[in-house]
Amino acid sequence: MKAAPGSALWLLGHELRLAWYGSAVSGGKRRPGIVSIVVWIVAWAVLHAMAFGLLSALGKHPRDDALLGVLAGGVLLVLATFMLSGALKACTLALFERGDLDLLLSSPLPSRSIFAVRLLGVAASSAALFLFLFAPFAHVAVVLGRPGWLAIYPALAALALIIACAAMLLTLALVRVLGARRTRTLAQVLAAIAGALLFLLTQSANLLRGDDHPLAQSAQHLMERGLFAPGSPLWLPGRAALGAPLPLLGMAALALAAFVLTVGRTHRFFVHGLQQAAGIGHATARPTGAVRFRFRSSLFDTIVVKEWRLIARDPHLISQVLLQVIYLVPLLFVILRNNNASGPAIATGLTLLCGSLTAGLAWIVISAEDAPDLLLSAPASVRTVRLAKLAACTMPALLVVALPLLWLMAHGPLTGLMVAFTVTGAVLGAALVVQWVGRPAPRSNFKSRGKENFLCSMLELSTTLSWGGLAWTLVALVTAPADWVAVAAAGALALALATLLLAWLFRRRRM
Amino acid sequence: MTADSLAPVTAPALQLRALRKHFGRPAVDGLDLTVRRGELYALLGPNGAGKTTTLRMVTGLLAPDAGQVEVLGTDLARDPAAAKRRMAYLPDDPMLYGKLKPPEYLEFVAGLWGLRPEEAEPRGRRLLDWLDLSKHAHELTEGFSRGMKQKLALAGALIHEPELLILDEPLTGLDAAAARQVKDLLLSHVAGGGTVILTTHILEVAEKLAQRIGIIRQGRLIAEGTLAELRERTAGGSLEDVFLQLTEQA
Repeated sequence: MKAAPGSALWLLGHELRLAWYGSAVSGGKRRPGIVSIVVWIVAWAVLHAMAFGLLSALGKHPRDDALLGVLAGGVLLVLATFMLSGALKACTLALFERGDLDLLLSSPLPSRSIFAVRLLGVAASSAALFLFLFAPFAHVAVVLGRPGWLAIYPALAALALIIACAAMLLTLALVRVLGARRTRTLAQVLAAIAGALLFLLTQSANLLRGDDHPLAQSAQHLMERGLFAPGSPLWLPGRAALGAPLPLLGMAALALAAFVLTVGRTHRFFVHGLQQAAGIGHATARPTGAVRFRFRSSLFDTIVVKEWRLIARDPHLISQVLLQVIYLVPLLFVILRNNNASGPAIATGLTLLCGSLTAGLAWIVISAEDAPDLLLSAPASVRTVRLAKLAACTMPALLVVALPLLWLMAHGPLTGLMVAFTVTGAVLGAALVVQWVGRPAPRSNFKSRGKENFLCSMLELSTTLSWGGLAWTLVALVTAPADWVAVAAAGALALALATLLLAWLFRRRRM
Repeated sequence: MTADSLAPVTAPALQLRALRKHFGRPAVDGLDLTVRRGELYALLGPNGAGKTTTLRMVTGLLAPDAGQVEVLGTDLARDPAAAKRRMAYLPDDPMLYGKLKPPEYLEFVAGLWGLRPEEAEPRGRRLLDWLDLSKHAHELTEGFSRGMKQKLALAGALIHEPELLILDEPLTGLDAAAARQVKDLLLSHVAGGGTVILTTHILEVAEKLAQRIGIIRQGRLIAEGTLAELRERTAGGSLEDVFLQLTEQA
């Protein structure tokens, strides 16, 4: 059946087609290649096999529906944060970045239909990946005699719709409160950190476990009798996904109500939000006092200040980079809580984090230079420009790690020195690899930088891992010396240096 | 003694000798060109003629396969810094940073050209006022219109008071008022003894502003002279007629 041109159904087909072209499965092509299809089929088969293994193992134990509901509910909670992250990105895209809404809104289609279809598109794109990942569980469960698990399909669809509505409402509310320009930035930041917040929550639970701190006691209470107790309504979506009829009906009704209310109550504001978004690129003159200059006599300082300004004024980019630092927070807790802060794991963690943070910043500062021609056409010393850029991308990581390093040095000077050495090596190694083999790219490509320059990302990984390995072995040598650890340390150092040599040999020729 | 001081003051503003660049096919093919000091020279040619490639080689952004570039008597290959110090380049797509404000952009460019703060500040202030950008001094350039971006890039190009100003399609996408401002600025640069080399597809601009016009096709100079001299070589008419006759003949 073909939908009539100009109908909401026809528009939905168009929306889904565009989403398909932009999906990972199609690889950005209208028709995916044979290799791509085979890879996805094999991946799905592997997922079915994994689901079979897991569900078979589960079948050997006595059936506990309440516990299963809690497990499924936990999984859905995790999915909800990832879906929210994706949906916020999709809403930002729909409202601010896609150029087709002017065309749609200037057509005779009612704005309500356009909004409804766009919202369904956001929901569909949020649900697609998770349906791919979790549908195998539904299929295998049917084979193993649990047909109720087919409810994974409607439960995930309902969850995606609820999340899409929440994301759209949040984005539009932000537009109303902050204006379109700030919303765009904030929504991008929220989308970036939504996934990481869950990691922090799980880590905080681990850190509080077994503690007599009041916070830990409150958490324990919540687990046993409060929000997270097995009988809590929080786990109803989990039971819905496993086929409990009433929770499933409730979830479907909630999704439908959210969709109808969101479309009905906010489609006009959606159009208003678009009008605000259309004005994002236009500067208006503001009376703001005299022009103030701050010329510097040092080229080095000028470049470092310019790089830091560009990074500091791009909250979206900062959020992407800081995602890596967020994972440092639990590590800091471990260091500050334990007096015996000499563990190889901590040394490795700090080294890996600083290496990857520097690699991200180096990509922004060196590869994503906005005006390379300006630098090339200037009489400035290439050496000074390169050194200043290296300083601009290495200093932030060294500053971030300064406090934990001081703490380590105070508690174990030799360990602290070892970690300072490996952190410095990782930071310099990552920056030099990007300096030598990085390729120019626009800043917007930050997330896909690994795909675009495979050699650079492999060398980045190799240098960071080898410095991380060296950190582990050096600290292990301090605490429990052994011959094999010394050999491993020498190997890690050799690998780190060999990676740098390789990067230098493959360095790009620049004018 | 620096290379700048060694360069003869009578040397042309730009001298290209047998300049060549291949990108699979010849983009610039043995180009010889001389631009005198104190003139506004328009380099014209159909799409793909090699205009931008030539300018990029002149400004040191692209290494030639063969040939020589001399800027105000300084060999670009031998002493690039000395040559670059005395010229400025404004490409079709302004070289700006969206997250910088106009004064910050000028601070950065002044730093690249090694200007002392005490000489850069009055120039920066004057340029922003002259180009009507002072009232936008507290805004990020990412929100600027095409014309405002072009004017800011021009301010950056002029802050070190270059003797040779090279512009690639400087008037594309500008409204009438901004185009007038840019044209006035170029004329005033030439009146002050500076040299301007520009490429443009807007032939009326070349007709009205340029003292001499060079026409290139397939990387070679096929005609050069004043508008009157070019008219003599063809059946006459407007620059558009002359341009079309010359490029179709070649």
